[in-house]
Amino acid sequence: MTALREVTRRLLERLRPDDVPEAIGDAPVVAPSTADEAAEVLRHAAEEGLTVGFVGAGTRLGLGGPLEPDLWVSSSRMARVVDHQPADLTLTVEPGVTLGEIEELLGAHRQSAILPEGRPEETIGGVVAAGASGFRRLRYGPTRDRVLEVVLATGYGEVVRAGAPLVKNVTGYDLSRLVVGSLGSLGFVARICLKLWPEPPVHATVPVTDPAAALAATYRPLAVLETREGGFVYLGGTEAQVGAQAAALGAGVRVGLAWPDRPTGPVPVELRVPARALPEAVRTVRRLLPEAPFVAEHGVGVVHLAGPADADEEFRTLRRWAERAGGVVVRLGGYDVLSASEFPPWGAPPPWAGLQRRVVAAFDPAGVLAPGKLPGGLR
Amino acid sequence: MSWVTDFAPERDDLDSCVTCGLCLPFCPTFRLTGDETASPRGRLAAILAVARGEQPVDERFDEMMSFCLQCRACEPPCPSMVPYGKIQERVRAELLVQRPSLRRFLRRLVLGRGLASPTMLRTAGIGVAVAQRLGLTRLVGGPTGRSLRALRRVSLPLRPTRGRSWEPRGTPVGTVALFSGCVMDVWFTPVHEALVDVLRVAGYRVVAPASQVCCGALAAHDGAAFDAVRMAAHNVRAFAEVDLVVVDAAGCGAHLRDYGHWVDGGAELAAKTVDATVLVARLLDDGALPELEGDRGEVAVQDPCHLRHAQRIVEEPRRVLRAAGYVPVEIDDLGLCCGAAGIYGLSYPDTSAELGRRKAAQVRDSGASVVASANPGCELQLRGHLDVGIEVRHPIELYRDALLDELTA
Amino acid sequence: MDLVAELESVLGSERVRAHPLDRRVFAKDAGVKTGPVAAIVFPETAEETASCVRIAAEAGIPVVPRGAGTGLAGGAVPVEPALLVVMTRMNRIFEVDEQGRTAWVGPGVINLELSKQLASTGLHFAPDPSSQQSCTIGGNVGTNAGGPHCLAEGTTVAHILAVELVTVDGEIVVVGAEYPDPIGLDLRAVIVGSEGTLGIVTRVLVKLTENPPAVGTLLLGFPTVDAAAATVSEIIASGLVPAALEMMDRPMVRAVENFVHAGYPTDAAAVLLAEVAGHPEGVRAEAEMIERIARSHGATSVRTAADDAERALLWKGRKSAFGAIAQSAPDYYLHDTVVPRTRLVEVLDAIYEIAARHGISLLNVFHAGDGNLHPLVSFDASRPGELDRVLAAADEMVRVSVEAGGTLSGEHGIGLEKRDLMGLVFSADDLDAQARLREAFDPTGRMNPGKVLPEGSRCFDRAAVSGGTGR
Repeated sequence: MTALREVTRRLLERLRPDDVPEAIGDAPVVAPSTADEAAEVLRHAAEEGLTVGFVGAGTRLGLGGPLEPDLWVSSSRMARVVDHQPADLTLTVEPGVTLGEIEELLGAHRQSAILPEGRPEETIGGVVAAGASGFRRLRYGPTRDRVLEVVLATGYGEVVRAGAPLVKNVTGYDLSRLVVGSLGSLGFVARICLKLWPEPPVHATVPVTDPAAALAATYRPLAVLETREGGFVYLGGTEAQVGAQAAALGAGVRVGLAWPDRPTGPVPVELRVPARALPEAVRTVRRLLPEAPFVAEHGVGVVHLAGPADADEEFRTLRRWAERAGGVVVRLGGYDVLSASEFPPWGAPPPWAGLQRRVVAAFDPAGVLAPGKLPGGLR
Repeated sequence: MSWVTDFAPERDDLDSCVTCGLCLPFCPTFRLTGDETASPRGRLAAILAVARGEQPVDERFDEMMSFCLQCRACEPPCPSMVPYGKIQERVRAELLVQRPSLRRFLRRLVLGRGLASPTMLRTAGIGVAVAQRLGLTRLVGGPTGRSLRALRRVSLPLRPTRGRSWEPRGTPVGTVALFSGCVMDVWFTPVHEALVDVLRVAGYRVVAPASQVCCGALAAHDGAAFDAVRMAAHNVRAFAEVDLVVVDAAGCGAHLRDYGHWVDGGAELAAKTVDATVLVARLLDDGALPELEGDRGEVAVQDPCHLRHAQRIVEEPRRVLRAAGYVPVEIDDLGLCCGAAGIYGLSYPDTSAELGRRKAAQVRDSGASVVASANPGCELQLRGHLDVGIEVRHPIELYRDALLDELTA
Repeated sequence: MDLVAELESVLGSERVRAHPLDRRVFAKDAGVKTGPVAAIVFPETAEETASCVRIAAEAGIPVVPRGAGTGLAGGAVPVEPALLVVMTRMNRIFEVDEQGRTAWVGPGVINLELSKQLASTGLHFAPDPSSQQSCTIGGNVGTNAGGPHCLAEGTTVAHILAVELVTVDGEIVVVGAEYPDPIGLDLRAVIVGSEGTLGIVTRVLVKLTENPPAVGTLLLGFPTVDAAAATVSEIIASGLVPAALEMMDRPMVRAVENFVHAGYPTDAAAVLLAEVAGHPEGVRAEAEMIERIARSHGATSVRTAADDAERALLWKGRKSAFGAIAQSAPDYYLHDTVVPRTRLVEVLDAIYEIAARHGISLLNVFHAGDGNLHPLVSFDASRPGELDRVLAAADEMVRVSVEAGGTLSGEHGIGLEKRDLMGLVFSADDLDAQARLREAFDPTGRMNPGKVLPEGSRCFDRAAVSGGTGR
């Protein structure tokens, strides 16, 4: 704090929110209420060489490792729904809007943004920055395919817009998609336009004994999940269609979507493998971490799991297995119980780390945004 | 200086290409090379550049044009309906004049004069018959040798159809004129005879006017436009008296049906010309010919370009084969050229052979032991590239054989 | 050694061209502009491509990649003498993972050919631009190509998992991965649609889509264009996302019918081609719903394709549309704007008014379901002044689309043709950000220069920017 000059102090006073803590750890929190204000903060941070972290609901901060920036920028004052065009299937929101608010608004129109299920407290800004998707990505694709437009306060302190609130658009480079999953390395996402889908009239959840076989046998289910409780196929469509598909899968059909809880535990982890390797991935998880709760997405290739704090050896083995299978193990948190040096947030860097470094430098020339978050040895 | 002859490509025809590129995958030379200059759209761009006087008719232009098979596979998929075959024939006429060479001169002599001369054809026919009997065809190498060995055995004495006529069997329904052609009448007499047999059963009197000559297709494709015009005029006169002309070679049929842009009166002859498979299919539909019982197995169907692309005849050969008791098997959904393409193999033996090998492989993969082809050039190419054990026949021959079996049974 | 000799030392003389006639033939794609070509090469491997890029760098000339040349925005047309790198010979399908529903393919593989080759697996590549019988996967990646079925499936970027890229330095890098959500920045997302300005794609990992068990195709005729457009809006608003929803107006229907003879209703003011796909039960219900909505808007004819052959014929009509217009005039010019679906009717009205005022012949064929318009002007460029009139009208059409909240391109790309219109939809700061991205990939500006972004997009030369008003 003593390193902050007078200008910084004034900025902080102006932008410090009343309803969020003044500081996370030792670092102060500012909460801009416009994209321009966010850009002003970032410009200042770049000039002063202050490192910056972004925070929404704080649920995904562990992705990419713990961050201890000089300054936190919160989205809490940018939590408005900007525009909803039901007939155009578009929704424009600020980053601090929560998933619960979004789905409640859309539910009234029988629409959905297909965001992660069962996490109403998360903010859309956090979901976009983390590149997170819901279980229904099997049917509708990942979140990144539905981000139509973003407004970004860049690391060099300008406000730029990319994309457009249109369901189809190839005008210029797709910076909107680039921002998805960028972990704050390019700037602060100040506005997001999402493509929506109509909700199917009928939903059903069908328990199955062999989820891989059920996936192969069912035309485009919403999701096929496997947990320690068993396998489940999620269906959506007209009554006749869902009825016919459910009947073909077997007994025990439940109306509606009964999503499993996301695994919770000391060290949350995501295993990502090519879709064909998913059954093998589940077997490997069961073998290495026989107690750990997990949710596996068949047809997608993701296993969400949470392991115990003393499983560093097993986690490293799992990572080696995943990398041999053409995938990765990504750590989501638990650094207070298992250090990043024993089980690093990322495994091997991506082959495009060199290009990535140049792109990040273009948007954050001072190198102050979420330093160290991205894989590939960025600062 | 662009064009110098009366046969120059017409500007309206060239302008009808909007360069959308939908023709590209249908072009065999583009498929082989991935090269725009070996595609219909690219060639049209080159022709247009010459037409505008922006590029000379030089060696490279000559090469780009000559590499074209003139299979016209680009025509059916063209939404702008560019008359590509016609444009290419006219470019060849320009090349004959603007790019003279000994090879071109010799080709013109053979295609423009030789094929139009019954004497020359007879002499060549006897020559081949003798060579076959003495085993001399084995001595000739390269693609020419392969084609020679793929020829059907030429009968001695020759049995040309030109100048003959045949009375109907059963109730007469009318007269049809047989287009005898040039090489067909010497080396493919059995196909003519099969067609005559079938038409007689259907009640036709068949005549083969003595004054007819080669259709001129090969001359036209090679740029011998004056010769092509002369032959077309000759045939218009030869067939003036008949109402219906039947052709059993796809290449001749396609050219006859394009006579409208070659000579006065050509359109009339074109209008009354019909491919043998179309006529027989029609007679089958009318009940004038029988649907034959029996299971003769599978037959691979090879679509000659000048049947499928130039005349858009696809269903009729299959109709005839089914009526003969065969199950037609498709071998190529694009109908790519087999590489015969008239005398293309002389100029581009490698490309011709590569396309021939691909086509033969498709036939082999079909598992059929017979392949039907309604064009003499394709027949030679197929037989040249296929192993012994797979027969190459004209669909009308297959129907005739089945018909005779039925009649004798 | 000179450029050609150098290239020949790597590729051999067969795969290097520099004759003026070759350069002339390659000077153009399916759009209206031509450009200067220094030489043409046909590499067959990533390593050869990289060598070509390095040789061009030594010679100090830019590199322009090209697929089948069916692009409509001039993306493969050089603006200064360039080495044209033609990717058509890299047309192998390397491996297909049926279970994981992916395939590694060469950029030269023809779009439709890929789906044909996959027929026995029950999978297909979803993007289906109208040129799909000719265009290459590499070209699709370059332009982020769309097509009728992108309404439900998304454009190419949603179907590309990874690419192998030859960078401007001649390095070969795989970007993206087979596993979901690759770690690090999603550079794949910006390479798709970058029109060869970020590097040359030499291999592509495509996502494959399950063939639907049932498909219903409807051809609906309407007495007015507005009635057809209103039907589109209501279908989407009703909670249905059909597999495709295409519109053609009367002039277009007539041109197309003359070629395909598919029995399109040539008396209707507009026709909609609607397709629903999926589970048989769902397809039946959705087709009935579309028919009901169409009839409530006064549809005068409703035809349902009885079988695959009839469906193919109806689609052939739609997909031949651009080519078919040459029947009325030798040249065409078209735009690719997208407008919010809800503004379709008013924008169409304005476009017809513009055409009438300029006295030009207008045909409309477009992806109505996602508001992607293709106003198509047919004309004869050889008539003095005609091209100028057409361009003036086209410019107005773009402006009304943008004013209605729309944008420049939905699927064809920006290329050469629309780059100077970028200022209509992006501010100088927006363009600067895009230019920074490009510069990160290509600091030398030698990868397909002059495309996508207008001159002077980068802020340090912003003084040169004109008309960049932004929104």
